[in-house]
Amino acid sequence: MIKYRLFLQQCIRSKEVWISLLLITLLGILSIIIGSKHLSRQQEAITEVKMYQEQHFDRQVSLHNEDLGLLLYYLKFAHINTLNPLAGISIGQGDINPTVKRITIKTFEAQKFDTDLVNPMNLQSGNLDLSFVIIYLFPLLVIVLTFNVISEETETGTWRLMSIQTKSKLGFIVSKLLIRLGLLFVALIFLFCLAKFILNIPINSGFLSILGLSMLYIIFWFTLTFFVIVFKKSSGFNALLLLSIWLVLIVLLPAGINAYISSKYPVPEALSTAIAQRDGYHTKWDTDKLATIEKFYQHYPQFKKYGYPTDGFNWLWYYAMQQMGDDDSKTQQNALSEKIELRERTSKQIASVIPNMYIQLAFNLSAGTSMSQHIEYLNETEAFHERLRLFFYPKIFEEQHADTIDWNQFTPEYYNTKANLKPVQDMLPLLLASVFMMLISIPMVRRL
Amino acid sequence: MKWANVRLFASNFWHNATTPKTFYLLYSIFILLTAFAAVSGIQNHITQNDIRQDHQIKARQSWEANPDKHPHRMAHFGTFAFRVNPSLGIFDYGLESFTGSTVFLEAHRQNSVNFSEATFSTGTLRFGELSLALLLQLVLPLILFFIGFSSIAADKQNGTLKIVLSQGGNWKEILFGKSIGLFGISTLFFIPAILVVVITLLVLENQMTNSLQWFRVSLIGLGYLAFLFVISTFTIVVSASSSSPKDALLRLLGIWLLLVVLLPKSAQAMGNYWFPTPTKLAFQSAIEKEEIQKGDSHNPNDPHYNKLRDSVLAVHNVSKVTDLPFNYSGFVMREGEKITSTLYKKHHANLVSTYTNQNNITRFSSFINPFTAIKQLSMTIAGTDFSSYIDFQNQADDYRYQLSQTMNELQMEYISPKKESGSEGKTHVVDHEHWEEFSDFHHKPIEFGASFKEAIPAIISILLWTIIAFALLLFTSKRAKAI
Repeated sequence: MIKYRLFLQQCIRSKEVWISLLLITLLGILSIIIGSKHLSRQQEAITEVKMYQEQHFDRQVSLHNEDLGLLLYYLKFAHINTLNPLAGISIGQGDINPTVKRITIKTFEAQKFDTDLVNPMNLQSGNLDLSFVIIYLFPLLVIVLTFNVISEETETGTWRLMSIQTKSKLGFIVSKLLIRLGLLFVALIFLFCLAKFILNIPINSGFLSILGLSMLYIIFWFTLTFFVIVFKKSSGFNALLLLSIWLVLIVLLPAGINAYISSKYPVPEALSTAIAQRDGYHTKWDTDKLATIEKFYQHYPQFKKYGYPTDGFNWLWYYAMQQMGDDDSKTQQNALSEKIELRERTSKQIASVIPNMYIQLAFNLSAGTSMSQHIEYLNETEAFHERLRLFFYPKIFEEQHADTIDWNQFTPEYYNTKANLKPVQDMLPLLLASVFMMLISIPMVRRL
Repeated sequence: MKWANVRLFASNFWHNATTPKTFYLLYSIFILLTAFAAVSGIQNHITQNDIRQDHQIKARQSWEANPDKHPHRMAHFGTFAFRVNPSLGIFDYGLESFTGSTVFLEAHRQNSVNFSEATFSTGTLRFGELSLALLLQLVLPLILFFIGFSSIAADKQNGTLKIVLSQGGNWKEILFGKSIGLFGISTLFFIPAILVVVITLLVLENQMTNSLQWFRVSLIGLGYLAFLFVISTFTIVVSASSSSPKDALLRLLGIWLLLVVLLPKSAQAMGNYWFPTPTKLAFQSAIEKEEIQKGDSHNPNDPHYNKLRDSVLAVHNVSKVTDLPFNYSGFVMREGEKITSTLYKKHHANLVSTYTNQNNITRFSSFINPFTAIKQLSMTIAGTDFSSYIDFQNQADDYRYQLSQTMNELQMEYISPKKESGSEGKTHVVDHEHWEEFSDFHHKPIEFGASFKEAIPAIISILLWTIIAFALLLFTSKRAKAI
């Protein structure tokens, strides 16, 4: 025990250690505040929509009581992606993807990808959230704390003295590193406790999995620096090499991969879908009404009883046309979904061998801010849209009046993101990477 | 200060720095990265623009394929505006991946610009994208730090500095000489990158590349040269004022981390904090509220439109709208479009000014951060910045307005006044020749003057930084110690 206490004293005697620990804690606190600001803005949007929807319905219903078809042309129904407080730790794609969608029962495809108001500069600069502090800055701290653990002893001439006095040189180095690891874990756990209280995060599997992944990630960086420093090169060389590794892993590789993915897998399908859904609906104004209605009944045979009104304008024909916007662009939509999936799969595959990219995606997944979860939310919104259609279509076709419907049942609907966490499996790659680094260090350790 | 001595120090520095094998390793890695960034940048630029042009044509074809129909149907048929990536987008991606590429233009409605690269990406996009600009802004300074950090500190540590000084060299010559030497090395890295851009522009030469394009390239080139000079002198100055090379390196890396990662991120976060963006709903409902006050063309009993109708009837001395010499419904829609567009423009301008306020924190932080200065200058002049995106939005919205007003006027002129409302059917229609007459949307790249104006703070700050660099050299030459 005395050994560890002395090591600890030796470590925290240095001014740099204090400054860097203090700095990372401050930045961590700042990042948590930024996260909580993000959450409160999202919350604000959700509260707003709840209040607005009621007024909006009241006004529209009173304006168009006799014309349900016209009313549904205007009415927007909110579908809300419930906030996960963990999004405050890992904002991920949460700043670009809307958490509230307000949709009409018209063509869904025309509304699916509508964006929120976002400042592209904010998106580009990225969020200084806790995940950023963990992924970018903690490794730097690991480097600062460890790069001279061995070389310092050689450079000050204490290495030889130490090597004849200690039973195990490896044990000596490892205990020095463990002290530093302990210090970082204290800082990390402190930040997580703070995040837990400020962001009101319940202690659940998502929270613990983010914490576990972060700890493993830090351990991975320790094993990496261990591998570098056992070569007993000079402090300057170690610092330079470790920082170059940091630069390559955290800046260059991900940036290169992103450039590769965007130029390798462009998404023309998105634009084609947009045009196809527009044409799918709008051209029906000029084509044979009977054909449109026929096609509509192929999709919804249960409505056949409403017949084939082809004289002038009528709502059945109108909503059949709107339906065609979705139905006639199915091929393009499928191609788009496939492309999105392909991009995500590729990105995930590549990320699985780069710890920082891997952990970013894992964080986002736990926090419900990943791309795949947003697509699930959009699909769920589509299902919500379909339920609305099925509810309103017969009422519109029967030309019911709006006051026969209980509008109070249409409060905003909530969707809960599914995280589908497999904590053990998720941690495996990082664990393997750390073990791998340890294994390749063994031959060098023997020669210490 | 003798120039011969300065030259001597410069060439000595150059020689020392370029002899070791590690330099060639570093250089080859950088060139490979440059090649990779150039290829993916060019490829991305070409495919994206091909895709967008292709779809612009497709959208146009289906617009023109419309048969004779009611013009209001055409106003809703609408069209798409696809944003064109500027030629210099191959060099600096700027905001490209975070701005939408497609907007649907129709009557009454201002739709959002959708389908940015970021919406189809996983969270890893936030690690950045490897572009030529990123290499020059982020990586090259680090390389210069690595090459130059020990230049004076090492001489100081091993005592050579004292010998040099006692043999007739002076601090000013050493500092200027070594800075120029390091700057010279930086151009070795810089020239291939800018050459790639120049050659690509020459090859891609099309109607979009005009003579002002070369102004842009020269301005970017000069900007980067000034930036690299500033970085070179900083490296040398830090090396001169540190007692050991390790010290110098740690300081330089600290500066890099602060100026490249932490400061820009916090500046933008501060902007975002001080000038919060309204939610989409708040934005839309504010417009809606004012619309209702000003007159709602959808409401048959709206007082504003009733008054309008009465005055129109009085002017033409008729009692029914069907007796007017033009189609009244088209007239009302033209009026409604005018009101809603003005309202939307006003609110949108407010929104843009909120964004501008947010971004101004970053823009003006270039006066304390040369890295931000070059980043801003580079993307603004390349035409991939915020202002060029807003320029696109404005072009698209102007076109949208033209489109719906042209259709409303066609309706007033060619649709019988007897047709009070509705746009269905084949009887009240306009010849399809009119659809072709209305020309397609063409995204014009932002004008050089506008980009230049936007870049002025960045340009001034780069100039200031250059002056500061000289001042620092002079200041350090008076204060520096040989031990």
